[in-house]
Amino acid sequence: MALSMLAASLSAQSTAFRDSVELDPVVVTGTHSPKALKDVPVVTRLITRHDIKIADATNIQDMLTHEIPGLEFGFAMTQETSLMMSGFGGNAVLFLVDGERMAGETVDNVDYNRMNLDNVGRIEIVKGASSALYGSNAVGGVVNIISRESTEPWTANANSRYSSFGHEWRNGASFSFNNEKWNSQTSFQHTAIDPITLPKAHSSEEIAMELLKKAQGLPYDESVLKDDSNISRLFGQKTYNVKERLTWRATDRLTLVGRGSYFFRSSERDTHDYHFNAYGAGLKGKYAWDHDRHLELSYAFDQYDKANFMPDGTRTHDHDYSNRQNVVHGLFSNAFGKNTFLVGADYMHDYLTTYQFIENANHAQDNIDGYAQFDWNISERLNVVGSVRYDYFSASERKALTQRLAVVYKFPWMTFRANYASGFRAPTLKEMYMHYDMGNMGYMLMGNPDLKPEKSNNFNVAIERINRIRNGGFLDGIYTFTLMGYCNIFDRRITTVGRYWVVDNSYADGGYLVPWKDPRIEEYAYGDDTKYLFHADDGRTYEALSSALYWNEDGIKVWGVDVSVGHALDCGLSIKFNYSWMHETGNVIFSQFSQPRSHSMTWRLGYGHRFTRHYALDAALSGRCLGKPQSGQKDVDQGYTIWKLMLQHHVWRGVNINTAIDNLFNYKPKAYYYCSPLTKGTSFSIGLSIDLDKI
Amino acid sequence: MKMKYFMTMMIAAVAVMLGVCSCGDDDDESEKALASKVVGSYAGEEILTVMGEDSNSAATYVFAKASDTTVDLNLPGTTGGSMQLPPMQVKNIVLTKEGDVINGKIASYTGTVVNADGAEKSYTVSDLVALFGKDIVVVTYTLKYGNMPFAFVGSFSGTKK
Repeated sequence: MALSMLAASLSAQSTAFRDSVELDPVVVTGTHSPKALKDVPVVTRLITRHDIKIADATNIQDMLTHEIPGLEFGFAMTQETSLMMSGFGGNAVLFLVDGERMAGETVDNVDYNRMNLDNVGRIEIVKGASSALYGSNAVGGVVNIISRESTEPWTANANSRYSSFGHEWRNGASFSFNNEKWNSQTSFQHTAIDPITLPKAHSSEEIAMELLKKAQGLPYDESVLKDDSNISRLFGQKTYNVKERLTWRATDRLTLVGRGSYFFRSSERDTHDYHFNAYGAGLKGKYAWDHDRHLELSYAFDQYDKANFMPDGTRTHDHDYSNRQNVVHGLFSNAFGKNTFLVGADYMHDYLTTYQFIENANHAQDNIDGYAQFDWNISERLNVVGSVRYDYFSASERKALTQRLAVVYKFPWMTFRANYASGFRAPTLKEMYMHYDMGNMGYMLMGNPDLKPEKSNNFNVAIERINRIRNGGFLDGIYTFTLMGYCNIFDRRITTVGRYWVVDNSYADGGYLVPWKDPRIEEYAYGDDTKYLFHADDGRTYEALSSALYWNEDGIKVWGVDVSVGHALDCGLSIKFNYSWMHETGNVIFSQFSQPRSHSMTWRLGYGHRFTRHYALDAALSGRCLGKPQSGQKDVDQGYTIWKLMLQHHVWRGVNINTAIDNLFNYKPKAYYYCSPLTKGTSFSIGLSIDLDKI
Repeated sequence: MKMKYFMTMMIAAVAVMLGVCSCGDDDDESEKALASKVVGSYAGEEILTVMGEDSNSAATYVFAKASDTTVDLNLPGTTGGSMQLPPMQVKNIVLTKEGDVINGKIASYTGTVVNADGAEKSYTVSDLVALFGKDIVVVTYTLKYGNMPFAFVGSFSGTKK
């Protein structure tokens, strides 16, 4: 009897590890309101707290790379992270934290380092356009990182983890308390990683020796002289991230939430250090007249600053950057029986000053929007959600109207979803007003105030089956199967085109642009280089510099199929497999930063079991495989596969030891391109996490 | 007999010692002469590679003596095209001799330079290797200039003027 009770107890605890296959989790991103994952009409990918813990991920890029096929993080020229997701660049994917935007940009999106995962409850990913709810940037998808909300009276956790890759340390602590009126969540995280010298196929000495043989007319090995690597050394960096969220349930009807955050990152470059600071604060009030009628009002502030410092600590002021966003938001929802009507509006003031504007000038713009959504539950099986949104941008005086229509029909044996959504991305202040001589080398990057918003139209259909097997056999458990086909038609892509900048100081901006093949441009040789002259209509001659101008180009069409299969067995074993195929046509940009790949996969084989009262194990063998680039280009990474083994030992009450071996089979790129995976080969990590409240 | 054997051994020992000292002196002389052997102007072809794109140009690299075993290198910079770099200097490249080749190396050198616009820019030349053959030099290095986000991979082959 005692044994059977113990067995039942252990089995229950083992099941608790597998919240990644919860039968009925709730998501909010697809429709801006809580809905069961199985009911939501928009296909939503959910990464649970358990997935985050077992992935041993430090930041969002580690996490998403392991979970989402067709998603690749790489480096841009500045060694800031860039993103590719199903044929779209990072600026087409909207990242939110608890539904709020973040200010600033590093290369093509926000600073991903700000999104530490220490206190994250879940991550929701909606692929495809979602501008009808979230406005600009939700062209290719939305990633919503949602904070954990503890229900225990108090929790406290301290954790530390070391990784051999760059001798990286990640230390974190979190604390929460919760009573009838108050709920507080505090988290702190510090990371530090050393500079990493990436291995070269041949040493400098070997290259120089072959070069000498060549110069001496002796036989030499040409292959030694070729090194395609764009990156030889990864910069070291440190981050500090502090967050606080305080909830006050003032009355049964009124809840107030205040939050604040501070983020600091220093990146140690060769000749200087980059410093990044971010400050966030917000106040949100939620009022519920009754179960059916809610009002939400919020104010959010977010600021992201960048500056350069010399090794002696002197600020250079030649790379000052500051972006501030103030957002006021209102949302009202009213349920009529099973149907819900939702109406919302936002006002955002966006301010940017940057070294990339003439004389560090500043520009600002206001974005005003209004949207409405009707969630129509026609029957128990059929649900239709329609949304429409209007956005206006003051600087460009552009407007955007976006819509979504999503249908879900639940057959007894499967769920069918169909979705149309439009998306847009408004030109950023940088894209409109940039005027920057790159590296002071006479190559101008020019903004364009006449840019139009990028637009996308996304269609997808999906079938899903979730079921439990109860045959009393090995396969007993929950399995899921999702198949989605999509087409994303993306137009007016904002990119750069070649122009000449005519240096004429009689103009306010110091010159003007002429087209790339203007007949008035004369090329002439200057040594072994080429220089340009512009012969103006009045007979005068001016120096001309080659430049790049932001411009609306033709777009692309992305076709794709996503398959996701999962099975969580009652015995503790679980398997997840995701496959993504996509094909891009049209004005596809193939570069070392952007290489769409047709085939990609991720998988995870997991096992969770409590062996004794004091010892339980969560093990996961995961991997990702990226196929060859669609372009067939050879000077970028070809297909590759990387495996990771993670073991999470629950050794005593609240004490967890995490060990991981990354890149298990020692994959090493032949050359390091901007989009190469960040690995030098096999690395390991070990970490300790203590839940103080459970000891 | 014993005395004769002893004297022979003594003479041999002294001879060996002198010989060793002599060889040592010769090596020292050789080491001291390294910088003098390689200083001068070398004309040839410079290749600067940025983001996988090569830019070839004629250039003159000048090595100046810093000490008996170190030289300073004057990189000529670029004056035309879409990218302009001012002349830069790499100081104290350490020379050693391996066979017929004199080998110059420096792991990293950071300096500052004023560009054509009068702005002061810092730069770092790293992983520099210079191999000197008979009246020939080849140089490979990586150059980070100012706040430029990407590095130049430089190589040069030239003959002594």
